[in-house]
Amino acid sequence: MDTSSLGISYHAILPELITATAAIAIMVGDAVARKISRRTAGLLALAGCAGAAVAVFSLWGETGPAFYGGMIINDPLRLSFAIVFLAVSTLTVLISIRWIEDEGLPAGEYFALLMFATTGMLLMASANDLVMIFLGLEITSISTYVLCGYRRQDIRSNESAVKYFILGSFSTAFLLYGIALIYGACYISGAHPAATTNLQLIRERIADGALFSPRMLMAGAAMMIVGFGFKVATAPFHIWSPDVYQGAPTPVTAFLSTGSKAAAFASFSRVFILTFAAASVMGSPELRELQSAWTGVLAVMAILTMTIGNLVAIVQTNIKRMLAYSSIAHAGYALMGIVARDWQAVAFYMIGYAVINIGAFAVIEAIARRGDIRTSLSDYSGIGFRSLGLASVLSLFLLSLAGIPATAGFVGKLLVFKSAWGAGFHMLVVIAVINSAVSWYYYLRVIVLMFFSEPAAEFNPPSLTKSLGVALVIMAIATFYLGLLPGRALALLENAKNQATMIVAK
Amino acid sequence: MVPLSWYLILSAALFTIGAVGVIVKRNVIAIFLCIELMLNGANLALVALSGFFGDIGGQLFVFIVMTVAAAEAAVGLAIIISIFRTRESLNVDDADTMKL
Repeated sequence: MDTSSLGISYHAILPELITATAAIAIMVGDAVARKISRRTAGLLALAGCAGAAVAVFSLWGETGPAFYGGMIINDPLRLSFAIVFLAVSTLTVLISIRWIEDEGLPAGEYFALLMFATTGMLLMASANDLVMIFLGLEITSISTYVLCGYRRQDIRSNESAVKYFILGSFSTAFLLYGIALIYGACYISGAHPAATTNLQLIRERIADGALFSPRMLMAGAAMMIVGFGFKVATAPFHIWSPDVYQGAPTPVTAFLSTGSKAAAFASFSRVFILTFAAASVMGSPELRELQSAWTGVLAVMAILTMTIGNLVAIVQTNIKRMLAYSSIAHAGYALMGIVARDWQAVAFYMIGYAVINIGAFAVIEAIARRGDIRTSLSDYSGIGFRSLGLASVLSLFLLSLAGIPATAGFVGKLLVFKSAWGAGFHMLVVIAVINSAVSWYYYLRVIVLMFFSEPAAEFNPPSLTKSLGVALVIMAIATFYLGLLPGRALALLENAKNQATMIVAK
Repeated sequence: MVPLSWYLILSAALFTIGAVGVIVKRNVIAIFLCIELMLNGANLALVALSGFFGDIGGQLFVFIVMTVAAAEAAVGLAIIISIFRTRESLNVDDADTMKL
């Protein structure tokens, strides 16, 4: 292989380069200047996100062959999900500045780790090789293990970190074993014998039916479903997430439940929709069988996930834990998009969910105060009129999570339900709609508690800082914007769909 | 020559022993070692496939996996130390602050 075919292009990885540079700048700055102020670290992180967003827009529409020897690809899926990740990181930084000041924690490492996690997530979306997916996933995971345990003196934070670390590594091992099996399964003999982890080559070989062993591919795909299932917290692999989400610091919970979930969905779509599904349309009968096997498994997982998430959320007494179960249910809805092979719906669902879920956690963080002490549902009784602004935006976000029309949550659900219906999964859609109705109960309960019950304890309305206020306003506007005028975002994704089919057809 | 399937069976056995260990062990350090066993089971499969197919990619991947596993160990042990400081126990059954 000569070097010109390696496809080295710094423009293609500019978003990742910028976020990684921001992370290193924060870390070095923190070490050199003894301790950089929390505001400076936060501003650096924001600048990194903004620069990466500009880089993403500069890459828009520039689809070409894969870069770096087939490791990195610039396609619509990568760009769409990159926007989701950068939105998540920006909002997380905005809601963290006040929190980190209140807690008196060191800001340098915090924002640096956040930016490293963002880099990993961006790599997961742009990976065109199973090795890159593994690396991106591990960069994200290792950074977030530390972030979960960031309040070192707090036993809940410690427990959260240990549980996330153990179960996260456990699932990584499954993913890795799956990759090893797929690597072997895609071996071809002949003039240039080679096994491969490159997704484009895997797609071609499946399409040609030129596999070393279809059974090994099947086993590998199953292992990868387990690995990704853990990362997006789908039942029966969801057990870790309530404990981790409850114990982690609230801004980190917001980041985990939206950012790393969206990243896992990006890789999930890349491997299962753009590689396996695209290939077996053209492939042999036994490969179509493989295709229907994993679709069936994922459909059952989606049903289990949303049902368990919603039913268990009803009995929760801690609001963070309740939203953790709600997050499991939402992973179930988004999984329907994967089942229907419509990654655009998943991407739109994740951006809408990110905005409203981070919004809800931002309010929870403001009310919880230093040390995360007021997170029980009973702390919310009667605060509605004492702190009208916060209570009303929290109500907006909760209603949007439940799926009230005219908000982002509704359009996201509509899209995944529509594409699942169109793909012929009628039963799945019916169960999802019933689940949606059930979820209204626990979202409305919080609103009723806030506005229509007697105040339980003394409550001082928390004061808002500038960054948190800005973040809340952005998220409230975005909730309505994506709900009332989703046309522009959808047109971008629709455009992306046409391009994606072109690439697959080639 | 030892056939490929023997290697794959051994790697599957290592992986399974690790997975069962994660579920039945009670000490965090032991669980962590079982996870390493699972990773090495996968590594063995990669190296065996790579060797038999004459494709260097799998062996390169194993180096990446080993590096990542080392980074994970550094972070993981730090997390384990910090929970030991607050909880003074390494038994996972004691980590039950959050329930329902």
